[in-house]
This record gives sequence, C-alpha cells and structure tokens, in this order.
Amino acid sequence: MGRASQKTVLALCAVWALAVAAGFVALWKYKLTPGPETAVATSWPRPSKLRAAGDRDTLLLFAHPQCACTRATISELAGLMAHYGDRLDAWVLFDAPAGAGAEFTRTDLWSSAERIAGVHVLRDEGGAEAARFGISTSGTVALYRAGKLLFHGGITPARGHEGNSFGRERIVSLLTTGKADRAEAPVFGCALSEQEPVRVANADHTVPRGNQ
Amino acid sequence: MSVAVKAIENTRAALEAIVQRAEERYEKRRQEIFRHTDRLFSRLMIGQWAFAVLLAWVVSPYAWQGMQKTIHLHVWVAVLLGGAITSVPFYLARTRPGEVATRHAIAVGQMLWSALLIHLTGGRIETHFHVFGSLAFLAFYRDWPVIVTGAAVVATDHFLRGILWPESVYGIANPEWWRFLEHAGWVVFCVSFLIMSCRKSDKDMRVMAERGAELEALSENAWRNSSVLDRAAADAAGR
Repeated sequence: MGRASQKTVLALCAVWALAVAAGFVALWKYKLTPGPETAVATSWPRPSKLRAAGDRDTLLLFAHPQCACTRATISELAGLMAHYGDRLDAWVLFDAPAGAGAEFTRTDLWSSAERIAGVHVLRDEGGAEAARFGISTSGTVALYRAGKLLFHGGITPARGHEGNSFGRERIVSLLTTGKADRAEAPVFGCALSEQEPVRVANADHTVPRGNQ
Repeated sequence: MSVAVKAIENTRAALEAIVQRAEERYEKRRQEIFRHTDRLFSRLMIGQWAFAVLLAWVVSPYAWQGMQKTIHLHVWVAVLLGGAITSVPFYLARTRPGEVATRHAIAVGQMLWSALLIHLTGGRIETHFHVFGSLAFLAFYRDWPVIVTGAAVVATDHFLRGILWPESVYGIANPEWWRFLEHAGWVVFCVSFLIMSCRKSDKDMRVMAERGAELEALSENAWRNSSVLDRAAADAAGR
C-alpha cells in the first residue's frame, strides 16, 4: 500500500470513528434522558379506586401498554417480585387512553405482567389513576406504606435497558431496612399522555386528565 | 575453486532457496487466510446489520406519547449507526482484502456491533456473549494483534461507560472500585488463550510452509536427477 493510499485509509478510518462515536453519544443521550419530573401524590389519593394494602407495602407501576422501553421495567419488576413478593402488594396499571380498545392494552407487556406471581394487572381507563397519582411517564413505580409515599421513580438504569438501577436499589433498601438515601429515581419511558404533564404541589389535589 | 567449497556453496544456495520458498509459502497461506476471513466478516457485517434492523423493528418499532406513535430511535439507530459501523469494514474488506488496516478496522467494527446489539436488546445478559463470540471469531485471522485491537475496543467502551453509566456495565449503580477488574479479568482470560492459539497456529503454519518447501525442493531435485538419467539413457540408447 502506497503512502498516499495509507493516508486515505487513515483519514477514512478517522472520519468513521468520529461518525460512529457521535452515533453512540446520541444513543446514550436518548437512553439516559428521563421523563419529566412530576409531583407524585405524597399520600394515597382519596378519589382513587385502588385500595392500599394494610398489612404490607403497595407498589404501583404505571405503564404504557405499547411502550417498548417498559419491557425492561416489567422484567425488573419480575426480579423484584421474585425476591420481595411477600412484602409487596403490586399493581401494574396499563394506560388506556379514551377510545383505546382492548387490543391497545392487551399486548405482550400485559401478558408478561400477568405472568408475574403476586402482581395484579389493570386497565387505567383514560389514565385516570395515573392522573390521580401524578404520574406522566411509563415505567414509573410508586411505593406506598400505610398510605404514605415512600418512593417514586423508575427501576431501570436507562430507557429500555435492563439491569440494576438506583430506583431498584432504593426500593430494596426500603423493603429490607426501611430507609433509602433518596426517595426518588429518574424514570425512563414513553409519555403516558399526549398532553403535557400536570405539575402540582400537593397530589391530593390532582385532577384526572379530561376533567382539568 | 575446490570441489568441497563449490559443494558447500551449492548447499548454502539450496538452503537459502528453501528458506525463501518457505517464506513465500507462509506469506501466501497467511494472505489466503486474511482474505478469506475478510470475506467472512464482510458477509457477517451485512448479516448483523440486517439482523439489527429486524430486531429493532420487531422489538421496539415505535415510541409512544399517549395514542400518538413515532418511529422509535432504536430503528433509526439500527439503520444509520448500524450502517455506519458496517460501512468502512465492509468497504475495506471488499477493496483492500488482506491488508493490515482492513482486519484491524474489522476488529473495531465487530466489537462495536457487540455494543450496539447490547443496546438494541435492552442490555440483556445473553447479548453480552456476542463480545466473547466476536473475539473468538477474530481469532480466525490467526493474527494476535487483531484480537488485542478488539479487546481494546471493549476496554474503551467499558472504561467510558463505567465512568458515565456504571449500571449498564456492572449491573449495579454504585460498583466497588475493583469491579472493573472482574470484568477485565474475564476478557483477559479469553483473549490470552486466543492469543496463545493464534501464535501456535502461526507457528504451525510456518512449520508447514518449511516442510512444504523442503518437499518441493526434494521433489524438484529428484525430478532434475531423473531428467539427467533419462537424458543419459536416451543418449546411450541413441548411440
């Protein structure tokens, strides 16, 4: 290979390396960008049709039934329930926007959630419960003890990425020691609603979407 | 010049010819292996690209916002970043097969494919086996520096992600400082055996080339001697 030819190959490889690095940086940025922070209900919302368990902690997972990123969250929930299922009353609420039929919510995510022992799966009609609890991003977990919020956030390390995370570590810490370094974690997932999330100071006063 | 000196010079010249022939055979065989492996990887790159696009389209076709959907970034990443990763190794494999730069670019590209597939499958543990499979596949070159290049890409990826996003590498958010040694240890374990295997294969290839050259020289010598005898016999018969 001639010197000029070598230079051409080197230049080609340098441009290639930069282009690929830029692609990976964009991918990382996307995967590590959490959903917007919203004020999650600090105490169990009175209008909610769900009832908090009296004898153990209640874990709520709000999910968009079509969100591919939430597949990793369901997988993490399965791991969590396998170890700490006896300490939790777990619910997965699949968002069902107005006009969404059964086929919209009955996805592989629904089936995966149903297969997890000890987990109750529900359709959240019109996203009413998500609005009552102040949740706007698919994959958000809210953990309540005696009607008081202990933790809220995601349980994956990135968007659609399995593996341990700050959120999961904090939930485990709360379940095993009763305390955690922080009460929240970033959530990575699709938006539950087309509307901008409602940010309120006190979640007891949240207004369900459609009744705002 | 005495007969003895002439004989020694002839022997030396014959030995040099055998050494040169052995070197030529060795280089020819290496080139065959490099080119063949380049071709294999060029096909694999295209296969991985197609697989990644299919995977992204099946597993995560859309991102959602309520009832509104848009094409998921994974699909674009599989098409564009996957295409970018494939492009240079494929181009070099097709236009410059057998060259040093080609196989090192392929090693980089192959390990980048591992990283991309891990992303596209949501960090599944099973996809991490692609890293070790790729390192083993790179050993097809029987050229140990190629494996070092591949391992260096893995190390760089681990180093950067270990700093910026430790959960994606170690599975926990706050890994102990020594945790990277555990991961590096397994890569070094795999790579050291592959390097030993490459060096042994290379040595065997050289021995085979030398034996082949010796056999060729012997057979040529035998053919030359038989030709001389044939000519002598023909002369005798003609007389």
